[in-house]
Amino acid sequence: MKQEIFRARALPWWLCAPQLLVLFLFFYLPIILAFFWAFHLEQPFGGGSQFVGFANFRRVLGSGEFWSSARATLAYMVLASGSSVGTALVLALAADRRLRLSGIARNIFLWPKAVASASIGVIFVFLLNPYLGIPAPLNEIWPGLWNPRTNPLHAYAMLFVANVWSAIPFSFIILLAGLQAIPEELHKAGAIDGAGPWRRLRDIQLPLLTPQLFVVVVLEVADSLSGSFGLIDTMTRGGPGGATNLLVYKIYSDGFKAYDLSGAATQTVILMALVAVVTGAQYLFLERRVRYDR
Amino acid sequence: MTATNAPAAIGLHGLRKSYGATEVLPALEAELRGGEFTVILGPSGCGKSTLLNCIAGLERLSAGRITIAGREVQEAEPKDRGIAMVFQNYALYPHMSVAGNIGYALKVARVPRAEREARIAAAARIVDLGDYLHRRPSELSGGQRQRVAIARAVVREPQVLLYDEPLSNLDAKLRQDMRMELAGLHRRIGATSVFVTHDQVEAMTLADRIMVLNRGRIEQFATPQEIYHAPATAFVAGFIGAPAMTLLDVAGEGGWLRLSDGTVLARHRHQGAALLGIRPEQVLADPAGVPARVIYREDLGAHSVLTLQLGDGSRLQMAAGPGRPVAASSDIRIALPAGALHLFDPLTGRAFARHPVPSDAMKVQDDAIPS
Ligand SMILES: Nc1ncnc2c1ncn2[C@@H]1O[C@H](COP(=O)(O)OP(=O)(O)OP(=O)(O)O)[C@@H](O)[C@H]1O
Ligand SMILES: [Mg+2]
Repeated sequence: MKQEIFRARALPWWLCAPQLLVLFLFFYLPIILAFFWAFHLEQPFGGGSQFVGFANFRRVLGSGEFWSSARATLAYMVLASGSSVGTALVLALAADRRLRLSGIARNIFLWPKAVASASIGVIFVFLLNPYLGIPAPLNEIWPGLWNPRTNPLHAYAMLFVANVWSAIPFSFIILLAGLQAIPEELHKAGAIDGAGPWRRLRDIQLPLLTPQLFVVVVLEVADSLSGSFGLIDTMTRGGPGGATNLLVYKIYSDGFKAYDLSGAATQTVILMALVAVVTGAQYLFLERRVRYDR
Repeated sequence: MTATNAPAAIGLHGLRKSYGATEVLPALEAELRGGEFTVILGPSGCGKSTLLNCIAGLERLSAGRITIAGREVQEAEPKDRGIAMVFQNYALYPHMSVAGNIGYALKVARVPRAEREARIAAAARIVDLGDYLHRRPSELSGGQRQRVAIARAVVREPQVLLYDEPLSNLDAKLRQDMRMELAGLHRRIGATSVFVTHDQVEAMTLADRIMVLNRGRIEQFATPQEIYHAPATAFVAGFIGAPAMTLLDVAGEGGWLRLSDGTVLARHRHQGAALLGIRPEQVLADPAGVPARVIYREDLGAHSVLTLQLGDGSRLQMAAGPGRPVAASSDIRIALPAGALHLFDPLTGRAFARHPVPSDAMKVQDDAIPS
C-alpha cells in the first residue's frame, strides 16, 4: 500500500468525524455527565450545580430502597439471562437435530428481533392480562390464580416470559451457527465410540459450543441489567409495590419523576460499574473454560 | 496388541438404501470374508461412503440384512456391531488430547482407568504416537492426526475396521508411507478391514479383494490381479489402470475386428458389434501395423503416454518406453496383440467370454489384411 495517499494527517480524522461525533454525543458525553452529576448537587430545572463530593453516594447507598432494587436487579440478571440462554440453547439443539418443522422454526424464531422490547411488553401485557388475556378463563374458575398487578412473583414471571421471547432470536442464531459448525463426522465418531445422543451433547457438542455460549451469556447478562427497561416500563412500571423496580427503572423514575437528577446519576454510575465488573468477571473466570480449538 | 476376537465375515444381503426418491444402493449382495482386506473402489458419488455407513450403523437400511460374524446387525447400534471407523477428515475431538481421543470409547464403556491407560498406550505404540499423547489434535500434522484416528479405532479391538478414504487428505509421500503402515497393521491385528477409496493405487496395493462399485452396483468383486487382467465389465476396464484401458467401438467379421470406417484393427474371432478394450502398455509399435497419428504426448519420465487418433477419428492411448521420443503430430503404426484384447458387450458392458487365440495370429500381417 502506498503511504502517500494518507499523507494528509487530518484527512482520516475528518472521515471518522461524523461517527466519532455521534458516539461522543450519545455515548461518551452521557457517561461523562453522569459522572459529573454524581459528584454534584443538580437543580431539577437547570441553573447551577454545586460540588458535593461523595455525598450523593452516601445518600444512595444509605437508602434501603436502593439495596432492595440492587438485589432484585442481580436476581433478575441471573434468572433472565439464564432462562433466555437456556431456552435458546434448547431450541438451537432441536433445530440442529433437524426435528420436524425445524426449518420453519429457524425462520420464525428470528422475527422477534424486529420488534422493539417496548412493543413486546405491550403485547405480553395484553396476552397475560388477568381479565382479558389468555389466563382470563382460568381466573374465572379460580379467582386470583394469576394477577401480575398484585402478585410480585406473577409480575416477574411475566417479565421473564417477555424477556425470553425477545432474547431468543440473537442467542438462537448464534448458538445454532455454533452447533452447525461442528462437523457431522464428530457425531458419527461419537456414535461409533458408543456415546448416545445425551452423552454426545455433554462430551462433544457443549464443549465445542463454549465460544458461542460465552458470547451469548456475556451479552445477555449485560442486556438483562440495562435492556429490561422497555419491558418494565410497559409491563409493570416497577410494581407491584416496587417489586420489579430494577435499577434501570429506578434511575428513570428517580430522575424523571422525582426530579432527583443527582441521585439518578449516582445510581447510573453504580449500574455502569456493576456492568463493567460483571462483564470483566466473566472474561476473567468463564473465558478460561472456553475451548477455541476446532 | 492383537484382536482377541476371531476375524468376522460380513454379509450384505439385498442391502438397499435410498434417500427419498433417489436410490443410492439398489439391492447389494456380497460376502466379505473374515480377516480379509476388502477395498471398495468407485468414482465419486457411487455410494461407497453410504455403503460403509450402512455397515457401521450410521445410516439405516431401506431394506435388506447385514451380518457380521454370522449375527444380523442391521438393527443394532454402531457400538454393538464390533466395528470401528476411520474417517477421511480424521474426525478427532478437537477439545480432547490425543490420549483423550484414543480412550474416549473406553471411557464411555466405563473401562477402569488403569486398564484404559494401558490400552491407550498400547494403541498409541501401534501407530508410533507415544510422544504425542498429551497434545491436542490441532498441534499435530495431518499424518499424525490420521494415526490418532487409527489408534482410536484400534484401541477397541474391533472385529471389523472400516476406513472411509483415510488417506485422501495426505500428500503423496505420506500416503505411500501410511499405505505400508496400514498393510502392516492389518497383518498384525488381523481384523476384517473394509477400506473405501477412489484411488486405484491404494486399492491395488492394499486389497485382498476389490469391490468395484458403480452407481451403487457391484461391477466386479475380485482380487486386484483379476480386476486388472480380466475386468468383468467395460466400466471396470475403463476405471482401473493409469492410464486406463482404451475402449473402442468395433465390429467383428470373418476373423477380424474393424473400426466403423472399415480399418482393420486386429485379428479376433468375435462376430458382431463389440467394445474393444486394450491397455496402453500393451499397444505395440509395429511398422507393419495400423496407421495412427500422434495427437498428444505426455512424458512421465519412465515412459510417455501417447494419445493416438485412428482412421475413424477414435482415440487410443499407448504407453511408449523411454526409447526414442515420438514427436506429437507424427504418424506411426501400431499393433494390438490378440492376447491383450478385451471384448465387451456394447449394450450390457459385460465382458464376452475370451477365446483362446492361436499364437500365429498375434500380429496383424500387412499381406493378410483383406481388402
Ligand atoms: N443424506 C443424503 N441425502 C440425499 N442424498 C444423499 C445423502 N447422502 C448421500 N447422498 C447421495 O448418495 C450418493 C452416494 O453418496 P456417497 O457419499 O456414498 O458417495 P461416495 O461414493 O462416498 O462419494 P465420494 O467418493 O465423493 O465420497 C450421492 O449421489 C449423494 O448425492
Ligand atoms: Mg465418500
